[in-house]
Amino acid sequence: MEVSFSKEIEKLRLGDGETFHGEGILAVTKALLQSGVSYIGGYQGAPVSHLIDVMVQATPEMSELGVHVEPCTNEASAAAMLGASIMYPVRGAVTWKSIVGTNVAADALSNLASPGVMGGALIIVGEDYGEGSSVIQERTHAFAMKSTMWLVDPRPNLPSIVNCVEKSFELSETSNTPVMLELRIRACHVQGSFEAKDNIAADVSTTRRLAEPAPHNYDQLAHPPVTFNQERLKSSERMQTARDFIQAEKLNELFEGTQSDVGLIVQGGLYSSLMLALAELGLVGTDGKCELPILALNVVYPLVPDELVEFASDKKAVLVIEEGQPEYIENEISTLLRRAEVSTKLAGKDCLPMAGEYTSEVLIAGVGKFLREHLPKIGNSLKDDEFADEVDSLRKQASELLSEPVPPRPPNFCTGCPERPFFTALKLAEREVGSFHYSADIGCHSFATFAPFNFGNSILGYGMSLASNASVASFQEKRPVAVMGDGGFWHNGLLSGVTSRLMNGGDGILVIMKNGYTSATGTQEVISSPNTQIKLASAEKSATQDETTIEKALKGVGVKWQRTVHTYKVSQMRDTLLEAFRTKFDGLKVIVAEGECQLERQRRIKPIRSKALARGERVIRTRFGIDEDTCTGDHSCIRLSGCPTLTVKSSSDPLKTDPVAHVTNGCVGCGLCGEVAHAATLCPSFWRADIISNPTWWDRLKASLRGYVTGLKTA
Amino acid sequence: MNASKKNPRLRILLAALGGEGGGVLMNWIVESARNAGYAVQATSVPGVAQRTGSTSYYIEIANALRDVDVVFGLVPIPGRVDVVLSSELVETARVIAAGYVSPEQTTVISSTARTYATAEKMALGDGRYTQENVSRAAEKMARKCFLLDLGKIAIDNGTFVSATMFGALAGSGVLPWGVDKSRIILESGGKNNASLAGFDAAVDAITALHNAPEQKGEEVESSSATHSTEGVSIPTDLPQELQKVLQLGQDRCIDFQDETYGEEYLDRAKSLYEPADLNDPRTSHAVIEACRRLVLWMAYEDVARVADLKTRPERFDRIRREIKSRPGQIISVTEYMKPRAEELADILPVAIGERIMRRVTKGGRFPFLGRGIYVRSNGVIGYWMLRGVAALARVRRRSYRFKHEQLAIEEWLNLMRQALDHSPAFAQALAELPRVLKGYSDTLQRGKSAYERIMTQIVRPVAKSGEWEKSATLLQSAVAAALADDTHTRLDAVLSAEGETSPDKKLNTPAMATEVSC
Repeated sequence: MEVSFSKEIEKLRLGDGETFHGEGILAVTKALLQSGVSYIGGYQGAPVSHLIDVMVQATPEMSELGVHVEPCTNEASAAAMLGASIMYPVRGAVTWKSIVGTNVAADALSNLASPGVMGGALIIVGEDYGEGSSVIQERTHAFAMKSTMWLVDPRPNLPSIVNCVEKSFELSETSNTPVMLELRIRACHVQGSFEAKDNIAADVSTTRRLAEPAPHNYDQLAHPPVTFNQERLKSSERMQTARDFIQAEKLNELFEGTQSDVGLIVQGGLYSSLMLALAELGLVGTDGKCELPILALNVVYPLVPDELVEFASDKKAVLVIEEGQPEYIENEISTLLRRAEVSTKLAGKDCLPMAGEYTSEVLIAGVGKFLREHLPKIGNSLKDDEFADEVDSLRKQASELLSEPVPPRPPNFCTGCPERPFFTALKLAEREVGSFHYSADIGCHSFATFAPFNFGNSILGYGMSLASNASVASFQEKRPVAVMGDGGFWHNGLLSGVTSRLMNGGDGILVIMKNGYTSATGTQEVISSPNTQIKLASAEKSATQDETTIEKALKGVGVKWQRTVHTYKVSQMRDTLLEAFRTKFDGLKVIVAEGECQLERQRRIKPIRSKALARGERVIRTRFGIDEDTCTGDHSCIRLSGCPTLTVKSSSDPLKTDPVAHVTNGCVGCGLCGEVAHAATLCPSFWRADIISNPTWWDRLKASLRGYVTGLKTA
Repeated sequence: MNASKKNPRLRILLAALGGEGGGVLMNWIVESARNAGYAVQATSVPGVAQRTGSTSYYIEIANALRDVDVVFGLVPIPGRVDVVLSSELVETARVIAAGYVSPEQTTVISSTARTYATAEKMALGDGRYTQENVSRAAEKMARKCFLLDLGKIAIDNGTFVSATMFGALAGSGVLPWGVDKSRIILESGGKNNASLAGFDAAVDAITALHNAPEQKGEEVESSSATHSTEGVSIPTDLPQELQKVLQLGQDRCIDFQDETYGEEYLDRAKSLYEPADLNDPRTSHAVIEACRRLVLWMAYEDVARVADLKTRPERFDRIRREIKSRPGQIISVTEYMKPRAEELADILPVAIGERIMRRVTKGGRFPFLGRGIYVRSNGVIGYWMLRGVAALARVRRRSYRFKHEQLAIEEWLNLMRQALDHSPAFAQALAELPRVLKGYSDTLQRGKSAYERIMTQIVRPVAKSGEWEKSATLLQSAVAAALADDTHTRLDAVLSAEGETSPDKKLNTPAMATEVSC
């Protein structure tokens, strides 16, 4: 990781009375330090990557506080770290992207939640739901309920988020239960401010070590026979204590309103979208107060029956605003009200959509519908229909004026990405062997599912591509291909994919993209990331070339057919793929597609270059281009590449009506264009220019000789 | 403050592509709002969109001392955005399409620069989105609209589009604080003069637009390089556009071969326009397109042509400009070439060419051919080697490919003349047919096979049956289908549908039209 977080780290040092300005997830990080945590762990992934990234770079500051920071190899290992809090009075926090990370962590979480904790244990999950999400749309809520962990869903402003982090530790300790705190994407990335407090150094930490281990106490093992009592404890004592604490500390917030016939019950995280919707409906006064009473649930599990019954009992109807499916909260409230014989009408998913993000636009319609049914005196004079009509007509007018649908623009491989050439080679191999079953995985290489490559028959999870075609391989005539990144390989792929295939003697082709980092989440390090020495030695070359941990691991577990090919050697890669498809060798064939993440490479070499240039040293820059007078505008080069800098432009030749291909100045000279032109026998329009700055006298002599003999200007 | 009374706050939606510095820009705006004494909140959904995908940022600014006194929104509401600030024109279209731009309250500040989406770039022909529609939509639907090329201003000042977007926002007057209070954020960046220069240039540019509101849009394209020299044998009573094409065509053919070839071009063109009724706009269009396609076909790209184009001094000048080379730098240019036996056969005399091609068809091998070679075109050996290949143009008239191309051109011309005589609509479609002949090697082969299939299955039979008018739509669909994908899936569909239905019914099947237009 070559990005610097020094500014962010400075913010973590703020003390009493100072104002913190910054991102939501960084505020959470600061709140952890204010809560006196002893250890922090996690696995990267949007929208919580920053927490780990900043912590890793803040190692000196963390050691001052005695905080142990551990970027884990997957979410299961992060969740298992919380085991420290079972028997020791230490606070700890871990983080990951949910729902996917929580799925991976599920085993450890069950085993953690059953014995319960002594020290506060907090799991910060980035609830990757709605616009901008990159994963399947499911709720973390289900995990909280099934393992009986408390789920906090704070109102999305920094003071509230920070307060909830601090209170979560207390809640966890009081009720001996791990607490999950969910933050939606926009809340993680929100820029806001709060009044900071001093950081607290924990009583037990890396600097204040315990002399003795905790005593053997069978009650704290997730192992029969004590698991049966643990189950009972969860739903009785621990839950009751938690409810008492939530109520006493007023973690859920009641906002009174003048229209007391109805009420809204909302997940804390949706509060601001709801308020904007209510303002649009004309239900918020100039003082910012809403006419309808609102109960904002900052703790969405467990619910506090007394609070809910009290809120609902004097009203004719309440609306539960709960994002995602199924409607766990609404169902539980329904049960609570029925048991308490409260006859208040309960609305929820009948007014609001079952699936999808609850934006203000959605909430305007939902609340409008609820009020028209249950508070007609206000409901009938609302302007929600007017708003809906207005938006409809804006969209209609836009679509008429634009006359064609706006082209999609999904994410793409970066300029110079070493994974792109692999997919070019795979496309070329496909031309020879025909189409084959392709198991995709999670990572930058998932972008190959988009145009222009359009690869992929299935995606089954991070590091799961090889495992996911074990059965496919058994009935396909052609060998299926699984692609995973080095991130996926270490996260899961080595065990659930490689060793399983080897143990069963199965056939198949696995490609591991060895770019040195988990790049899609922000280039965090893996066990096979090139170390500083290798990076220095490789200078401008790919630093992953000399890092062979993956190859050794494969050999160690018994992979017999193994090739490592640099991805920019497109022809060689295509031939290696063809060999893998056609060889008589029956068993797992692994191709390690090597090429350092271009983002990291550029961050590494840019300073080297600018320093050399400043010193007046000889520096060569490479860039590609296209002769527009020989380009015929067929764009097959683009269909085999998709590089952001390989684009089109209007031809300056008035006779040509179709646009010609063109390379912009963003080109980093990776060389793929030329390799493709050769490997695919495309066209002679590509050129490579090597630009020598600060040439030596020998360069200049050669150049002037060339100029003399060719008649061309060379300098 | 430019905001509705009901909601006294300024709501800004930034649209950008991942990697353009949208996050940096968002933070600049937040910082300047705080410095100016406003409460502010901003958020984004970067996710994996940071990898050149479309992404957005949302900022709310309120007239309050403390952030906590305001309930800020995290998600923009359609029709309730005060400012849309966009780095790219189609991203502006996306925001407009989603309903965020309202004539009641939205000021649109958009760059006219284009970064083409993969879907637009990979089309075999021209898949680019119609920019004029976006400008028109923005101007019609926004309360106020500023369209200017922020990308170019950024490049001119050696900075990123985030800096010029910030300048345009500050200069537009929508922010409730002065330009200086925004500018100071960049000043504190110390030596980062490029950002500041870009900021200032964008302020100036948008101020100029402000003062001259009638000049809202910018000319997106300006291609009106007319030839002043009149060709000797081009009649001046022809439509302007046709005259232009003929002049360019003659020059191109002379450049490709010699004066005689230029005259041959004009003769061929004359055989098209002379008998035609150019007062009929459809006929006139067909003739102009045919003359345009004719010259591109006649000046086809064989190895001699490519070698010639690659060794011209003006080409090296163009490369220098493109790579922005500075004095004192030494440039070496390398070409990626992979001449196969086919390309060699093309330029050799007919008899030898035919022998080589027979061997190719049999799968014979040739030494030194079909391998990728790197040629340094401004090096001594590379340059003179390419000049040697370029010199083969002198034997081109007797070459294998020349013979075959001329035969094909003559056939097409002949059919073109008949079509012009019978059906302007068919002639328009037939004029476009040579468009499928594109590229080199495999790509060219694929184009040729599409051309041949369309000729065999549609054009030649029509010339016999005389059903010109009826078949025009089919031919048009087939040409579009041949350019729809490079596996010819769409073309197969069109041609097989044509084969299955009887000649009378086939032309009116609506299914066929939708098949192609989708």
